[in-house]
Amino acid sequence: MAEMSLKGLCKRFDDGTLAVDDLSLEIGDGELMILVGPSGCGKTTALRMIAGLEEISEGELWIDGEMVNYLPPKSRDMAMVFQNYALYPHMTVRQNMSFGLEQAKIDKAEISRKVDEAAGILDLTEHLDRRPGQLSGGQRQRVAMGRAIVRDPKAFLMDEPLSNLDAKLRTQMRTELARIQNQLGTTTVYVTHDQIEAMTLGDRVAVMRGGVLQQVASPRDLYERPSNLFVAGFMGSPAINLFRARVERETLSSPLGEIPLDRRLRDALGQAGHAETVVVGLRPEHLMDAAITEPPHEGAVAFSHDVGVLEAMGAEYYAYFDLPDQPGMDVADTAHDPDADPAGQRQGKQLIARLPIDSEVREHKPIELWFDPGRLHVFHPESGERLSDVASEPHGR
Amino acid sequence: MSTHAVGGHAATARSASGTRRSGDGRDRLFRRSVTGVVIALALLWLVPIAWALDTSFKAEPDTIKIPVNWAISHFTLSAYSTDFSASDIARWYINSAIVGVIVTVLTVFAASMAGYALSRQSFLGKRVLYVVILAGIMIPPQALMVPLFREFQAVHAINTYWALILPQVPAPIAVFIFKKFFDGQPIELDQAARIDGASWWTCYRRIALPLARPAVAAVSIFTFVWTWNNFLWPFLAATNQTMMTIPVGLGTVIPGTGITNALQMASAVLGALPLVMVFLLGQRQIVEGVAGTGLK
Repeated sequence: MAEMSLKGLCKRFDDGTLAVDDLSLEIGDGELMILVGPSGCGKTTALRMIAGLEEISEGELWIDGEMVNYLPPKSRDMAMVFQNYALYPHMTVRQNMSFGLEQAKIDKAEISRKVDEAAGILDLTEHLDRRPGQLSGGQRQRVAMGRAIVRDPKAFLMDEPLSNLDAKLRTQMRTELARIQNQLGTTTVYVTHDQIEAMTLGDRVAVMRGGVLQQVASPRDLYERPSNLFVAGFMGSPAINLFRARVERETLSSPLGEIPLDRRLRDALGQAGHAETVVVGLRPEHLMDAAITEPPHEGAVAFSHDVGVLEAMGAEYYAYFDLPDQPGMDVADTAHDPDADPAGQRQGKQLIARLPIDSEVREHKPIELWFDPGRLHVFHPESGERLSDVASEPHGR
Repeated sequence: MSTHAVGGHAATARSASGTRRSGDGRDRLFRRSVTGVVIALALLWLVPIAWALDTSFKAEPDTIKIPVNWAISHFTLSAYSTDFSASDIARWYINSAIVGVIVTVLTVFAASMAGYALSRQSFLGKRVLYVVILAGIMIPPQALMVPLFREFQAVHAINTYWALILPQVPAPIAVFIFKKFFDGQPIELDQAARIDGASWWTCYRRIALPLARPAVAAVSIFTFVWTWNNFLWPFLAATNQTMMTIPVGLGTVIPGTGITNALQMASAVLGALPLVMVFLLGQRQIVEGVAGTGLK
């Protein structure tokens, strides 16, 4: 097990591309740290720098109090699970799992014992004499895990290890992976572009964009207090609703209606300076069907709107509403990155609500909705930085 | 109305089957044409070999009879017996085998390591080195003969195995083949091995090389065949009868005057025989190797 400290890590490639820019991160002993972000955000490059597969252009990497910038991969005592598993195709499962131990010149009997033990944990005992080509995707993934855990390294580095599996197997292996990491308590750095994986697996999650760290926090904090528009848009599925609101004297004038300014919102607007508009975010689950749930207090904002597309998801509905075009009020003008919108929503132009399956919502029919202004996230109109704190105890909750 | 519709469907069906038939006909014609071309090319290659074999079993006077005749009126092995009696052919076979095997092993070893380094390592001057190696493919071996001969003469190595073997080892094309092959292997395999604690040498020996079997097979086969058949350099480097390889040695058996068609053909057959046997024994690996690397 190990503590890691990334101090201002930078990676500049020969062509001048700055893949990782000033990444600073403290990873605790036994912690499962997730690096998440869209393609090309630098998360894999950061992981490869930790592994020693990429040279560090600037900054320092400390592992257990030792600066390891110039140590080759084999001297860092880490095990890595690759996206494509990188199993040696000409070797059996046993040989694959033994390879690292053989390099460490461990006694043959001890190697055999460790491999058998790891195979037992991963349910691979029957497959030890098979080659990777004879195994299913899930079994290969487990062999890759086995190859890592058998070495009992200081840390596991995992580069999108579940992305080659089908959806069902991915969910199953995600649980399995969490169980193993919990059981072993080994420090793990896990790279993924899948925010659900990040939310469910990580002790803490580091969100990256364009090589720059956006926020490091627990999954819950990340979801409830995103530090900027990018994080707000990236975390959560369906994505958060984002729209512009005009700052009036006593209210925020939004496409959903006039939102009265309480103390929290006034404080937030105070940080925005003299901005005429702000970007407001509202999670789809915080839009309520008035026919099912009564607004609990006077501060709630109610509005009626025609439903556009309706998707029945089994346990709930995703109801989409088209917002009227507002010239000069496009969210895309802010720092929000449309790539970070996993639901493909047209941010600022469409609204999505997660409604319970017993809702009477119907396509192309009007529906009355309400939301608690305490649930609103307010962002700076230009920088996209967070201005508000979600009320710790929202009204009516 | 309904009759009309049925008729319409039938016409459509007929037209579809007609299209299929005409498509089948074109396919058949194409296949036959291809087969014809392949047979013609095979004959072009096989007839001279059959002719050599046929001539080698004839008496010398029969080889120049007009009109040319395939029939062997007097079957004789005299050309072969001349080859065996008037020469040190067993020694030449041994020399060819020693030179062929050692050149092949050294070429595969050196070229695969160079290819691996060029594919996986980053070092100063790598691009320039690769361009220089590629340029080596363009230089005809004949252009190097005189300097090489001078070099080996200067170190008194003419008529030694060193002289026969070393100049045949550097093979830029083999380096190119291996580099391309290693480029195609997932780099994650090496990276996984490096993280597992393997040195570059272990990565090469235990991961990359075993996975490059098709390239190893192809380079081995072509190097061995090329070395076995090589005439010019062994002709210069081995003037002593005991150091000659098969192509050079058999050339000395043929006298400068008189009719020597049968003798020449018998020598050619004897020279090619071991290669034919190697091919028959390792046919599958050879075909796979050639297909695997795109060499021909």
